[in-house]
Amino acid sequence: MSVITEVAPQHWQSACSALLDQKMRFLGLYASHAEGALALRAMFHEQAEPVALVPGERRDGDGERCRVRPFAEVLCEPDSGYRPGCSSSPFRVLTCSSAEGSFGSIVHRVPAAVWDEREAHDLYGVELKGHEPMRALVAHPAALNDWTVPVTGQGTNQVVVGPIHAGVIESGHFRFHAVGERILNLDLRLFYKHRGLERAAQGASLERAIKIIQRACATDAVSNSLAYAQACEELLGLWPTKALALQRTLLVELERLYSHLNDIGAICAGIGFAPGAMAFSSMKERALRVNHALSGHRYLFDTIAVGHATRLASEKAEAAAEELEALRSDAMRAWREVLFNASVQNRLKGTGTLPRKIAQRLGAVGPAARGSGLKLDARTFSARLCYEGFVPLLPEDPTGDVASRMAARAAELPATFDMLKELLEHVAHPPALLAGTEETAPCSPIGVGVVEGPRGQSVCAVESDGETIERVHLRSGSYANWPSLAYCTAGNLLGDFPLINKSFELCYACVDR
Amino acid sequence: MYVLLRQLSRIRRDADISVPKRRISAAMRHVDSGSCNGCEQELEALSNPFYDLQRYGITMVASPRHADILVVTGTVTTRMEGPLRLAYGAMPEPRIVAAIGNCAIGAGVIGEAECLVGDVSMVLPVDIRIPGCPPTPDAIASALLRALGESSTSLPR
Repeated sequence: MSVITEVAPQHWQSACSALLDQKMRFLGLYASHAEGALALRAMFHEQAEPVALVPGERRDGDGERCRVRPFAEVLCEPDSGYRPGCSSSPFRVLTCSSAEGSFGSIVHRVPAAVWDEREAHDLYGVELKGHEPMRALVAHPAALNDWTVPVTGQGTNQVVVGPIHAGVIESGHFRFHAVGERILNLDLRLFYKHRGLERAAQGASLERAIKIIQRACATDAVSNSLAYAQACEELLGLWPTKALALQRTLLVELERLYSHLNDIGAICAGIGFAPGAMAFSSMKERALRVNHALSGHRYLFDTIAVGHATRLASEKAEAAAEELEALRSDAMRAWREVLFNASVQNRLKGTGTLPRKIAQRLGAVGPAARGSGLKLDARTFSARLCYEGFVPLLPEDPTGDVASRMAARAAELPATFDMLKELLEHVAHPPALLAGTEETAPCSPIGVGVVEGPRGQSVCAVESDGETIERVHLRSGSYANWPSLAYCTAGNLLGDFPLINKSFELCYACVDR
Repeated sequence: MYVLLRQLSRIRRDADISVPKRRISAAMRHVDSGSCNGCEQELEALSNPFYDLQRYGITMVASPRHADILVVTGTVTTRMEGPLRLAYGAMPEPRIVAAIGNCAIGAGVIGEAECLVGDVSMVLPVDIRIPGCPPTPDAIASALLRALGESSTSLPR
């Protein structure tokens, strides 16, 4: 159960600072209506600041073994997944309400909160004192100065792209300020696909709302809806049994597998390396077919439910494990071809560098953070899933460029294949355990769920009376990473932007919602 | 490189990809008017070695100016209505609109009413409707080929 603390508006900034001083990490911030007043909620979790890679510590992408505690061992224990010691929630929620809707901004202490504050301002009309200038994010004002950073000087020009792009890409608008080909600054205007999903979920039942949250994004469907389900279960005081936790771990890793294969292929496509792009896109297709065989859906839709498990085709598990074994050998051989192709690597190295300190300040997550050398992975604190003993895997040389972000994904593939192999054995021979939840903790008014998805952590907060949604907020890994993408574009050439964009492979749909 | 090319030729052999007897010539332009990224994933999958839609002569082009078919995914949001109309307006006649996925054809629309215009047919005349959430690449390819076979007289050859 999250620890929820109510603070007065005048203490909002100092309360947030105090939590950060205790080495808590910022998870997200959102606005809400509470009894006629406007409220802000900030979510934190207990974890020391991400540890940097120790110089000289070697990470061999292919040789790295799965370090997670064996699932067979986990299953042997009696089904008391809820242990007060480790499973008291690591989350802290600060809430603050003000009749005037005016709060102090925390963006100077937490630069990662910049988009959250702009969104709270645009959607709820919250006034954030000290956040100057307050540029529009969700709102689309006509005047350029209301949403762009002014760039002036001799020879500066603007290049405008979108919302419709040249390929099969989602809709979003980019405004580059450049001198010749050199990018000085990138202003993003997303939210063209804003469908109001969070507001549409208000008043819906907890079971109905998972459909809405899942449709935020197809490629993060499992991680987003699982974060939502975990938030609901925390709110209801439920704890998943081991069988349910194993099934959910399997689904999250299946999603990671096809997504990482897709992203490596997309980077190859970004530099016109067709053999790599085609090889990895066909491997992604094979992974999607495994998903379909196991769950009935290529993107694993409708596999997560609040409080109980869904049916997986256990009779297909053995064939799936065989196919994944073949896929593993193909993927690792193809990866070596990409890794040791000098002209490919030369094109990727030094492009779109995101320094470690900036990644930390801007709150980068997922492979983007690990590519910059941050040992940051929500799997290290996912007590509701089976990741006991998990250690984040970093690429060998995490310099934060496109090559590192690509290697960060490849470095995770062997561990993902290992976990999937073991997990599929349990699907094929399901233990006589109840895949459900047990009641453990008293109910709380706000539940928080965090799941490490392929693009980073999905954070979901749910406020409810236990039956209908009062407020739900989803902050996906893509949302956290867009500011980092904009930052590391500066200084690069216009022609490199598609490549840098591909190396983050961020989703627009779950940002726009 | 050698390993990659060998893997690819093995895939093509195993997937039993036939060379079509008749090739058509159709250029597609994609607009995402508010999807969840699922239909985009499947549209992109059409170019992977398992489906290879290009062998039928159907290609994705970068500009609506070059396109015969406008492929629209997702419910139309209020913010994408204008760009969608612009893209359609930029296309030369004769032009075809394909609505891909349940959101685009108006089945199972999710969202808040004031953010959405509605399905694609509320904005543009829709010729081809392909249901699914998302429709599989097979479903998209066969629906496109079927529709193009029927309307081939109006398509540029």
